[in-house]
Amino acid sequence: MLDGIKVEIDEAISFVSEDLIDVRIFELSVEPIDSKAFPIRLKPIELKSVGYQFPRAGGGVTVFRNRTVVGQADGTTSQSGNPTVGPGLGVVGVKGVVGGQIGSIAVAGSVGTAASSTGDIDPLPSGGNRTAVPDFKPVKPKKLTRIRPPADVVKLEDRLYYLLQPPLELLIGSEQLDFPFEPFPYQLDGIAFLFPRYAAILADEMGLGKTMQAISTMRLLLCSGEVRNVLLICPKPLVSNWLREFSVWAPEIPVAAIEGSAATRQFQWTSPDIAVKIANYELLMRDRECVLDQDQHFDLVMLDEAQRIKNQRNSTSVIVREIKRTRSWALTGTPVENSPEDIVGIFEFLSPGHLRPEMSMATIAKATRDHMLRRTKDMVLEDMPPKLYRDADLELTSEQMATYEKAENEGVVQLENLDQQLTIQHVFELVLRLKQICNFDPATGASAKLERLVADMEEVAASGQKAILFSQWVNSIEQMKPALARFGTLEYHGRIPHKQREGVIKQFKEDPTKHIILMSYGAGSVGLNLQFCRYVFLFDRWWNPAIEDQAINRAHRIGAAGSVTVTRMLMAGTIEQRIAAVLDQKREMFDELFSDSRTPSSAGLSREEIFGLFNLRSPKGKIAA
Amino acid sequence: MPSVAEAEPAIGFYTVEQSEFAGWTGGLLVLNASGRPLEFQCTLPIRPSRAHEILYGATLREYLIGDAIGSLLISRCRNIPRMICCDQPEGLQLDVHAACPMMLVCEAAETDEGPISDDMLPGYDRLELAGSSIRVAAERSEEAARLLEHFRSLPDVVEPFGRIREAIGEAQKQVARARSAAA
Repeated sequence: MLDGIKVEIDEAISFVSEDLIDVRIFELSVEPIDSKAFPIRLKPIELKSVGYQFPRAGGGVTVFRNRTVVGQADGTTSQSGNPTVGPGLGVVGVKGVVGGQIGSIAVAGSVGTAASSTGDIDPLPSGGNRTAVPDFKPVKPKKLTRIRPPADVVKLEDRLYYLLQPPLELLIGSEQLDFPFEPFPYQLDGIAFLFPRYAAILADEMGLGKTMQAISTMRLLLCSGEVRNVLLICPKPLVSNWLREFSVWAPEIPVAAIEGSAATRQFQWTSPDIAVKIANYELLMRDRECVLDQDQHFDLVMLDEAQRIKNQRNSTSVIVREIKRTRSWALTGTPVENSPEDIVGIFEFLSPGHLRPEMSMATIAKATRDHMLRRTKDMVLEDMPPKLYRDADLELTSEQMATYEKAENEGVVQLENLDQQLTIQHVFELVLRLKQICNFDPATGASAKLERLVADMEEVAASGQKAILFSQWVNSIEQMKPALARFGTLEYHGRIPHKQREGVIKQFKEDPTKHIILMSYGAGSVGLNLQFCRYVFLFDRWWNPAIEDQAINRAHRIGAAGSVTVTRMLMAGTIEQRIAAVLDQKREMFDELFSDSRTPSSAGLSREEIFGLFNLRSPKGKIAA
Repeated sequence: MPSVAEAEPAIGFYTVEQSEFAGWTGGLLVLNASGRPLEFQCTLPIRPSRAHEILYGATLREYLIGDAIGSLLISRCRNIPRMICCDQPEGLQLDVHAACPMMLVCEAAETDEGPISDDMLPGYDRLELAGSSIRVAAERSEEAARLLEHFRSLPDVVEPFGRIREAIGEAQKQVARARSAAA
């Protein structure tokens, strides 16, 4: 035994002299070991360890059952040593991921103190649709989605906390997190992206399930105790949609929409029993005092359709930025609608000062890379049916042509006469007037687009399919109704009262005689799931491609029955064709923000480009912006 | 320190990473019966001296994995595991130091060792956990089979080793950064 290190001599080897090779041949010098050199002292290998405890016993985590708070989890187990089980069902494990306060790291063997709670939650809401699984046999998934710490998490113990969590597939597979439908792999990636982040944008293309990803991540955070109260802010028309989605994806979480009288709303704002409060943007101004109360703090504030706050100076943006919060998330399919300043505005909410307006596109892309996740349908195409574009380049009818030429010539002359007093508003007015003529001749009602639409709808209706039509103008929708009546027309736009709109969608979905729904871009392009429609008609095109994509994605989204055919109607040789060229340029800008390309491209629809739609000249020469 | 009988059933996963650059680093991850993490212990990287390499020779690996590193990590655990899985056959030697049975997860070991056959581990019985074949010393086989009942809802016994390696890699990066900053 040498200084605590056990040395074993397994075997001894002896040599017979005749077997030894003559040293003179190899010039080896073998010297005997000096006996004073024994025992050989070998410095022991020094070992140090670090320990990390995940939180265990203790209170602090809210237990949910049937959307009510029933108490605090204490991490106890049953007599058998199994996780807490519910009445009448087999062992199904506990929900959520252990989280909470992080223990401290210590060196040389001592371990930091345990803190907080396990996050164990009674997993069995009574009356739910779960069935007993007495002989549950877990199935190993092929791909494992791991939660990765974001770049701004630097402390070792914080990074280890995320790295040591189980993969999301195993949480689902072991029924610790019950999903009504199996998430797509990219959706699990989205959950893994959001979970560890304190500032994040989920910018997936419309229709890829941002809602589901956000709700599922919130659920994990709530169940683990990392967050206790959440404020979700969305446009008013989407409040009911969110409530519906919560009932599907997180039925046990207490959720409430802030609405009703002032007294009711005040109670809701301050209620500790509502884990997720849903408020609409318009409400923030009215309830500003409640929202910004000094005792009011949210562990997570999430903005849906976050492009609403891209303008930093409007009152909604100001209020939203002042809300006291720990985590800030944003959901938007269009983080950049018109210019890079849009995303700067959103980041002023997520992480003030992180972006500056003067940054180049490439710098913005680099700075936002770790905070923003965007997937398009092309990227997850294996899960989605194709989207087929069919651009209908049409010729104006003779009546339309005569009206159009007259209006354009006269309009241009008027603009030129304004000379220095010309503003962008004047140009817009002419553009809009010409676009309206492209839809319908004001005098006779003639419309090449409507003729084409009727012809296409014959085929759509005959095949038993349904179509969505989008237009900028409700007047255009009114004008086309008589010609489309035989296809069972429904309408969904600003002139339809809000209370009737839900019924319209339901009827469109369920009534086989209704083959087309006429929508305005404003009312119909957000928050609706119409994935049973195989056809989308853009009767006239919007100013930016992001809104068009939103509209198209009402049909082309998860769960779509098959391919979606998109017909974009465009009158050849008119202002519509010139605008389409500019829209293509704007797509380039948007794509660059989400690519690794460092080559700057055109900045989008600038004043020069708008003015350039008409070759305006005065006696002094070309009129510039 | 809670006794094994009183505490929530816990299962340990043990592996040692060795690299030319960082040396030897051991990690022990303790999970509960549902696979959620309870505790993680890891050694700081060690690099045996040339003297150790000569003295131990071919047994150095066995000594480090099956004795020095593993016994330290197990002794530091506050959540006492009822059984410990390893993905290296040398880890089975920890049976002497650990109060609980040591088990080799064949599927995890096969990445480095190739297929694990019966003649490679004489005196070890085959059991099954989470769809994976495990080897445990014959004299502890009955005890292990009883203990396995607590962990039937574990979804995967191969994947936790990946977590440990990532955690070790992260710890090594931080140590390397700290050293270069100090230098």
